Amino acid sequence: MADNLISVTGLSKQFESGDQHVTVLRELSVHLGRGESLALTGPSGSGKSTLLNVLCGLESPGSGRLAMLGQPLAGDGAPTGKALERTWCELRQSRLGVVFQDANLMPTLSLLDNIRLRARLAGRDDTSAGDWLQRLGIGELGQRYPDQVSGGQRQRAALAMVFVTRPALILADEPTGSLDRRTAETVADELFELQARHGCGLVLATHDADLAARCLHQLDLGHQGGP
Amino acid sequence: MSPRIALFSHYRRHPLQLAALAAMILLASALWTGIHHLTSQARTSLEQSERAVAERQQSVREDGNPVSVQDFVNLRRQGLCVMPWLEVPVPGRGRLVGIDPLAAHCFAEPGHTPAPWQGELDGKPFVDISEAAAQASAEASALVLLVSQADGQSPPPAGYRYQAFAVAPDTAELGDSFLLNLDALGVLVLLITSLLLRSVFLLGLAQRRESLALLYRYGVNRSQLSRLLLVENLLLALVCILPGVWLGRALSLVLADGFGQALEGLFDRLLYAGGGEDWWLPTLTMVAVIVAACLAGVRDSSGSLLTRVQPAFFAVLLALGLAVSLWAPTLIWLFLAVALVFLAAGWLAPLAIAGVVRWLARNTGDPLIRWRLQEVAVLVRRLALPLVALQFALALVLAVHALVTTFEDTFDQWLGQRLEADYYIEVPQGADITAAVSWLAAKPELVSPELWHQVIRGRASVQTASGREPVPVDVFALGPVSHLVQNWRLLAQTETPWQALARGEGLMVNEQLARRQQLAVGDRLIVRLGARRLQAPVLAVYPDYGRPSGEVLVPASLLPEDFEARFRSLSISAGIEEIKVVEAQLARLWHTPQLTVRDNQAIRTLATDVFDQTFLLTRAMTTLTLILAAAALLLMVWVFLSTRAWYFRLLIVWGMPQRQAATQLTRVSLALIFAVLVCALPLGVWLTWILVQRINPLAFGWSLPMAVYPGFWIELAVLALIIGLSIALLMRLQLRRPASAPESAHGLQGGER
Repeated sequence: MADNLISVTGLSKQFESGDQHVTVLRELSVHLGRGESLALTGPSGSGKSTLLNVLCGLESPGSGRLAMLGQPLAGDGAPTGKALERTWCELRQSRLGVVFQDANLMPTLSLLDNIRLRARLAGRDDTSAGDWLQRLGIGELGQRYPDQVSGGQRQRAALAMVFVTRPALILADEPTGSLDRRTAETVADELFELQARHGCGLVLATHDADLAARCLHQLDLGHQGGP
Repeated sequence: MSPRIALFSHYRRHPLQLAALAAMILLASALWTGIHHLTSQARTSLEQSERAVAERQQSVREDGNPVSVQDFVNLRRQGLCVMPWLEVPVPGRGRLVGIDPLAAHCFAEPGHTPAPWQGELDGKPFVDISEAAAQASAEASALVLLVSQADGQSPPPAGYRYQAFAVAPDTAELGDSFLLNLDALGVLVLLITSLLLRSVFLLGLAQRRESLALLYRYGVNRSQLSRLLLVENLLLALVCILPGVWLGRALSLVLADGFGQALEGLFDRLLYAGGGEDWWLPTLTMVAVIVAACLAGVRDSSGSLLTRVQPAFFAVLLALGLAVSLWAPTLIWLFLAVALVFLAAGWLAPLAIAGVVRWLARNTGDPLIRWRLQEVAVLVRRLALPLVALQFALALVLAVHALVTTFEDTFDQWLGQRLEADYYIEVPQGADITAAVSWLAAKPELVSPELWHQVIRGRASVQTASGREPVPVDVFALGPVSHLVQNWRLLAQTETPWQALARGEGLMVNEQLARRQQLAVGDRLIVRLGARRLQAPVLAVYPDYGRPSGEVLVPASLLPEDFEARFRSLSISAGIEEIKVVEAQLARLWHTPQLTVRDNQAIRTLATDVFDQTFLLTRAMTTLTLILAAAALLLMVWVFLSTRAWYFRLLIVWGMPQRQAATQLTRVSLALIFAVLVCALPLGVWLTWILVQRINPLAFGWSLPMAVYPGFWIELAVLALIIGLSIALLMRLQLRRPASAPESAHGLQGGER
């Protein structure tokens, strides 16, 4: 069980839309072990982003059981209230790395300062921030601001921000969705390489079948949504 | 889909922006209409009250007996235009004034505004004399026979003489001063409202930049886009201005009700003019402001306030404005200086704040502090206009508070000094004041020698020793120079001015005369008092707020025998029993059955009441301006944060607890607001100086003492804290709202730097 990064059983999630209840996730079960990767696929609105948000604690699960990195967070034995929030915060600070399609960086800070800030919040040494930029091939762009670099360079900086915290699990929501094919492939290569090298888990939400095929497991959420 | 629908559909997606713009137009219309109505109402009311209480001529009997209906008949039969004025006290309603409308007709002067009693008698407060007579009781009512101005110039009929009739102290100039300040306030409020309107409009425009660019690419040219925007804003203005004007009128009526009551308290009658019916002026003004605010620089609206300015240019403008304010010889120049300083200060403040926080950000090693400082810089840039409006409003509140408090203190102190004696007794025409003075001097056990003096008023001319043309002045003669005057606040003085005055070694001049003739203590003046030519040094300069004329204060001993006194009175501080004895003795000495004895405390209370209320109104209006500016800022913050919230939530994504993230945002908002406050303080102090030390001397010849009341700064800081915490609260609310990740880190989606 301790090797289970993610343990989700019977997870359901509903949203209210007007006077209707829309079920986004229905009786979902997901398990992911160390070093494994999982691709979440499905059309827009199928619940990929919702599941990722639940897995990083930004949205609460409706019902079911959830344990992350061995810690119960919903269902039997899970903490509640402030204790629950504290547990999620600790996880996000240093154990979970989250990457979005874009807008992963504070626009008012340089790439280097973004990584330093992320390292500081994770309680890590921020002197390695420059090394991570070098490793991802954008070392000379450290003093640039997010709006002064390309989308691909921003996503590399986002990866640097994730890996500077040495996470156990990476949750990536369409990380290459806004990039051209060639840049997307490069960024994906770097993501998988780093994930493999550091032995962390990866959950990847994507529309890209090729990208999904690179993951060890695939979960199609296409049948999940519905009123 | 037509370009019009495509453009307008923006607000369907962003109804909050539409609501913000509509609310701003409505509130701005309400505020300015309120100020406009209040000013015009106050002006009308003060004019009416001045006309009603202005000094007029009355006909009195030579033998000192009160006039009666028989006297009225006598005078009318002799062809004199006299009007009976019967004042009847009515419990709970003040006083009624009964007049004869037929007799009032001969008071009409072609080309002049009719007196308030001319026209329909509606019982507020003028009623037909028969109605007043029905309610009159013999002891309490007073009949006065007013003489028209034309007849007042001719000699009176035998057995009668003319004397002045006034029912209240002359406060006209203080009223004018208040109105001038209210006008200035109205202009500043209009400036603030236009800034707010433009800020809301520009934010909406900035967020529609993509739609506009798309329409342009589809072939809709710029003039068409401008026309569409003009139509859109006019439609919005039409919907929002009228309710705003209505709200403003309602607001001003509520506020002004107290003003009217204060006037009634002062003049014992209902004089308040009520609201005018000019809807069109505030409506047209607001339409013009909205069109100007929304269309100025539409084509270049993409540039932010800070990117297109030349700081050096505005620094020069600021220096120029400050220099002109020091030198300005007329009010026009002074108002120009105020405009220059506000323009430059408004432009420079966001630049300065952004510059300072960026410098601090560069010099800190902590990325979290750097992030906070950089966020302040972004907020300053994106919210520059509402922040400048808030800066102006804070400066305005500070200046108006200082002005009003100074005004209150000074006016109260001045009235206290001028009405130091408990009573004053008018000396009847032709009565021998010397006998009264001798009698009082011989009765120290009745009235202490230090607590009474005679006052003689008349006219003279003064000439400076440097040989300028003689100028006519009022004479204010005192004898003896009692302790009742020796506590007067003096603006400049020799070592022991009152003792020197008592010895006849010099004279004093009021501030108006000193300013106009550029007199200083020690300058020698040549004064012509009747046939006597007197050369004496200026011993002191005293403040004199109630009137425009120059005045010299001399000891009565210097007046020649033939000095033509226009008015004589005795100021006496004594107990009620003692004053009754004095009154009885003086009536015997002067062979008159009835003396005019006034209780100075009552006069003082009445005179203070009206200004207390007007000051309250001024404060209320400036506070409303501040509330509007703060509300606009909060609206803008909310709209801006709706796109920026994602980036704040990144802190939470990165593991920062919600409470800590909220604390970080609170620090950002407080830093922002306190930076604005710091910029507002010097502007407010400068505006205070302009109001009390520059506008009043140029307009009226007298200044008020300069005081900045630092204690009030703490109150302003608390207000700023409340605004800052409100912004922080909005930020917290945005943090809690579920936010979806923007598709790109584009500036339009909140990712600007």
